[in-house]
Formats: sequence, C-alpha cells, structure tokens
Amino acid sequence: MFAHFDFSVIGASLPYLFGQGMVFTVTLTALAATGGIVFGTALAMMRLSGIPGVTHAAKVYVELMRSLPLVLVIFWFYFLVPYIGAWATGSATPIQVGAFSSALITFTLFEAAYFAEIMRAGIQSIPKGQTAAASALGMSYAQTMRLVVLPQAFRNMLPLLLTQTIVLFQDTSLVYVLSLTDFLGAASKVAQRDGRLVEMYLFAALVYFAVCFTASLLVRRLQTRVAIIR
Amino acid sequence: MNYTWNWGIFQEPSPEGVGTYADMLLSGLSWTIATALASWVIAFTLGSVIGVLRTLPSRAANAVGTAYVELFRNVPLLVQMFLWYFVLPEILPAGLGTAVKQLPDAPFYTAVLCLGFFTASRVAEQVRAGIQSLPRGQRMAGTALGFTTAQTYRHVLLPNAYRIILPPLTSEFLNNLKNTSVALTIGLLELTARARSMQEFSFQVFEAFTAATLLYLVLNLVVVAGATLLERTVAVPGGR
Amino acid sequence: MTSTPIPGPSADTPAPSSAAAPADEGLRQGPLVSPPPATASGEAMIAIEAVSKWYGDFQVLTDCTTAVARGEVVVVCGPSGSGKSTLIKCVNALEPFQKGQITVDGTRVKDRGTNLPKLRARVGMVFQHFELFPHLSITDNLTIAQRKVLGRPGEEARKRGLDLLERVGLSAHAKKHPGQLSGGQQQRVAIARALAMNPVVMLFDEPTSALDPEMVGEVLDVMVELARDGMTMMVVTHEMGFARKVADRVIFMDRGEIVEDATKEAFFGQPRSERAQQFLSKILAH
Repeated sequence: MFAHFDFSVIGASLPYLFGQGMVFTVTLTALAATGGIVFGTALAMMRLSGIPGVTHAAKVYVELMRSLPLVLVIFWFYFLVPYIGAWATGSATPIQVGAFSSALITFTLFEAAYFAEIMRAGIQSIPKGQTAAASALGMSYAQTMRLVVLPQAFRNMLPLLLTQTIVLFQDTSLVYVLSLTDFLGAASKVAQRDGRLVEMYLFAALVYFAVCFTASLLVRRLQTRVAIIR
Repeated sequence: MNYTWNWGIFQEPSPEGVGTYADMLLSGLSWTIATALASWVIAFTLGSVIGVLRTLPSRAANAVGTAYVELFRNVPLLVQMFLWYFVLPEILPAGLGTAVKQLPDAPFYTAVLCLGFFTASRVAEQVRAGIQSLPRGQRMAGTALGFTTAQTYRHVLLPNAYRIILPPLTSEFLNNLKNTSVALTIGLLELTARARSMQEFSFQVFEAFTAATLLYLVLNLVVVAGATLLERTVAVPGGR
Repeated sequence: MTSTPIPGPSADTPAPSSAAAPADEGLRQGPLVSPPPATASGEAMIAIEAVSKWYGDFQVLTDCTTAVARGEVVVVCGPSGSGKSTLIKCVNALEPFQKGQITVDGTRVKDRGTNLPKLRARVGMVFQHFELFPHLSITDNLTIAQRKVLGRPGEEARKRGLDLLERVGLSAHAKKHPGQLSGGQQQRVAIARALAMNPVVMLFDEPTSALDPEMVGEVLDVMVELARDGMTMMVVTHEMGFARKVADRVIFMDRGEIVEDATKEAFFGQPRSERAQQFLSKILAH
C-alpha cells in the first residue's frame, strides 16, 4: 500500500524537524504553561475574592476566552498586540512584535482562562477549616493563601494542570495559521517542498502521539500516587 | 491607538461580487453551524458506542474502547485534520482516492468526519464516566429482572447516565463548535475563515474580528440556553 | 422476546409451572402470590451444592451446601463480610462462582446452555439499596421488565403492576418517581416490582439495612405477609424478629462458610457453634 511512498524524507529532515520545530513547540509550551498557570492562579483568586468589580472582571475574562475558538484568538492577538505595544510604549505607530512573542502572549493569556478554572476548583476543594485555622494562627489573607491554601490546591490539581499542559502542547500546533515553524509547521514545510505530504503528516502524528501518550501515562501514575497520599 | 475604525464596512459589497461583508460573515456562520451539527451527530453516536464498550465486562471491548480514546486524544486536532484531508485520499485505492479529492465541498465533509471522530473520543469519556458513576446495584437490578446486557444499557444505565452528563456534554458540544474553526486550514469557509478574509480584503481587522467574536458569543448563549431547557425537560422529579 | 424454555437438565423436576406467566393469566385478586403447587411441595426450589468462590486469591465462599424447599422461608445471617450477600447473589448468577453448582427450580445456574436472563426473570430479587430506576415513574418501574423481558402487553403489565402496588399500600404514588418516595416506600415498590414478574422464588439481600429505623417495620410487614402466602424466600437479614416470626430455617455464615443450618427452633433454642452463639448474643444484646 505504501509502495510509492518514500519515507527516507523523514530521516533527511530530522535535524530541521526537531532542532528547529520541536524546540519551538516545547519552548512555547513550557513558557506559556508557566505564564498561564501564574496568571490563571491570579484569575482564580480574583474570581474567588468576593470583591464585586474584581470577581466580575475575572469572570468575564475567563468566560470570554472559553467561548472563543483558539484560532480566532490567535488572529486577534496577532493583530492586536502591535497596537497594545504602541499604546504601552507611547509609540505613534504599531510596534513590530516577533511572531514567537505574539504566539507566546496569545497562548499564555488564552490558556490562563483554562488554568484558572482548574485552580478555582482546587482552591474551593480546600476545606473552610483550613483557612479558619490559618486565620486563628494570626496569618493574613495573603499568608493564608500563599502558605496554606495554594500549596494544597496546587498539589491536588497537579494532575489536571499537567493534563491541560498536554492539551496546550497539542494546541500550539495551531500557530500553523501564522506560518510559524513549530514541529507541525516544520513538517508541513518539508511536506510541501518535497511533495511528501503523506509521509510527513503520518510521521508528525506518530511523534505527537508518542509524546502525548507517554506524558499522559506519567500523569496517570502521578495521579494514583497523589490519591494514595491523600 | 491610531487605528481608523469604520463600522460601515459591513454594508459595503464584498470582493466576491455578491452581497456585502455582512453577508460574507453570515455565510461563514452557517457553515460553522452546519459543520458543528453534522459532526456532533457522529460524535454523539460513535462516542456513546465507544463509551459503552469501555464499561462492558469484556476485556476485548475495553481494549478497543481504550485504544480509540487514546488514539484520538493524543494527536492534535490540526494534525488529524491534515490526515483526513491530505493523507486519507492518498492511501485509499487510487480510484476512490481521486473521487474523494474531487468531491464538491470536500473540506466540509472532511471537517465533519474529522471533528466527529475527534469529539467522539471526548464524548466516550463522558459516557463512560456517567455510566461508572451510577450505583453498581442499578446494573444488578436490571440483570436480576432478566434484562439482557443490551436491555440493561438501553432501559436503565444510559437514560440515567445521559442525564448526569448533560452539563459536560454541553461543554463538549461547545468545544466541537469552536473546533470547527480549525477546518479553515483545509479551506472550509467557516466563520473565522470569513472574518480573516474580510480582514485581508478590507484591512478593517478589528471590525471583522469583533463581529466574529460577537457571533461566537451569541452561538454560545443559544447553546447554553438550549441545554438549560433540555436539562429542565428531562429532569427527573425528586431526582438526585 | 421469544419464550424459549429454559433448558432444564434433570428429568425428575416438573416443568417450571409459573415461569413466565401466560398472557391470559389475568389479575390475581387473592394473596400477594399464589400458593405453591401441591405436586412440588417438599422438593428443593434452590439447591446449593459445594459452592466455592474466589476473588483472585481470596476465597469468599468455601464449600457451601444447602437447599431451600418449595414454600420454605430461609433466613441467612452472619457477621458482615461472612459471604452471605455473595452467596445469595450466586443464586441468580449476579455473582459468578468457580466451583460447585446451584440449581433453581430444576435449572442449573452454572451451565453454558442456561439462558440466564430467562432464569433471572423467574427469580425475584430485592436489594439493600432498593435500586428502583430513578428516571422512571413508579408505574414504569413496575412494568418495564414485564413488558421488555416477559413480553406482556402494556395494559396487562400495568394492571398487574398497579394491583401489586395496591397490595403494598402505595397506590397513591403510582405517578411519582422513586426520588419522591421515602426509603421504606421505595423498598415496598421494589418488592412489588419483583413480584410483578411472577417469580417462583424471592431473594432478599439485606432489604432493611439501608432504611431509617422507623421504616423497617413497614417493609418487614410486607415480607411477613409474603411468607405467609407461601412464597419461597431466601432472606439475608439481621432482623431476628422476622426470622423468629416466619422463618422455617436459619443459616448462619462466617468467613465464607455455612457454619450452622438448622430449623428456627433449633437455631434460636441452642445454636451448636460457638461463633453462632457469639453472633446471637451480640445481635440480641440490645
């Protein structure tokens, strides 16, 4: 069936696929996950703060992001970020932002909405008695959060946060619409150049599957361990 | 911000020759809705079957169900889209492959199949979770009354599981709706694609994206309202 | 659903008399159940022979042998984890067992040729947690298996269901859903649901242990009435009052074994085993 296909094209392009493409994908995933979790945690705390304006603003942000397709959000930020940059720096003309920075900002802000929901559930899962006990010990709200609630919430939610990071890893392939050279972008460019679409896309699927499947198995193992500790 | 807004742009004729930019976006909206609904039919049906497989007392059925879910969950949707669109016709027998490629509206059919199979893996997980959340005694009670396995699922387990998982199924439906935009990469002229071409032709980027955003928000609201209504209709009196 | 007869092995058992009630049987006005056919009296309705069961390496039933005669009421008791619930679930093959054999009304439970759904349709079972179907009304709960398993016409199934509902004193609740009834009421409906299938034997798996104390009585009353009507019953329960009142025999289990199998009088009079004595003194202490 695969007689007229030439899989040697894969071997020849490995340095490009991994050295450039996969490095881009992994870097983007790692940075956006870190940023997304930090901003997402902030959003979750805002949403649970009970301060009318703050709660509402966080809710609107999260709901808006979760209602829109990622592809549309990628386009939004691609065009919006230069203007925001200009406004922030007081420049008269839109600021040129590198494609990588644009993608990083997009994924951080978009995924933060999803991380926020996970963290919100995590914070809400901590019994009220814990905050009461911390307050009774004389801790401030910030100390209670930082020393008591967040560490527990974070540990409870770690499997979910990691699963969401695997989703993010897959989602980064959508930078294809900006013609960036992530792993899929690199595979696609070789595919177009050499006319080897079947070989390259099958290979890309295989690599994504291997990475994500392995990662999800590890998360599952972690999950059972966390469950035992609790 | 020195951007020149022009909200009148929607009334201007689109470069396609027929209709205005507004018509263009609305045509995109109808493709989005059509793709979302058609693929959901596949996703719901196939997903229910796979989900049930994973709860049957049979190792083989479990393995098939698990393999399906793992396969479709661990490959990015965009890559799956390319596999269906570029790879499948090439590995089909030559005649069939050519016929598939020449199909009118090929991007639409491809997107429907791709999203249907992709979302089925997520529906399957919800169905499995729903069935497993039912008390073990329910299956036993059905069995004890003489129901076959199929009857136990049909009359006891599934009606209850679907009621329990209605909220997560609603969000899977919404995810599926949003995911239709990924099909712009294979040339489906859905809402995001239309907003993008409007931006390219008219340079009124923010008007185009704002309009698309609002349309997606309205779609979300309609779906959520519909789901709430459905939830109320099927709610069991005195239910848990 | 076709009505293929259950392949019964032994030639010495009469054909199941009241298996799936014939469609023209109509409504019974008398007691909850018809008395057992005279021809079959004294013969084992349930025969449990040397049954052993393992969960992996862990043995939950060891060489259990006993029998329940037609029209007999047998109470099974014992400490939790003694295997009594597992044993009763083996009778209608809800739990598989690895060794031994169980015969119900002439049909071997562990036999490749046995049509298990058909067998189960003739064995009524009442569960600890009632297990009514929450999405169906009380009427539908009473009729669904009659229609889908026995193939009874809707109207006939309804009549039989509502008749039994009346006999358990809950006619007013026919249109409600299980979630709107109390636990005791739900359990009475569950008994009616099982009876609607015209079972030849009724199994009760701790039918009152999930109930609030004030509701235990109403369920036991229905069971006592059922026993007095001549139903063959195997009852896993801690309710020794019930056992004293209607049981013919009491089986005491511990650690997967049948330790004592005696007439009610013998069991309550003077249990032979020390374990049964200890159990009784604990359970009767309050």
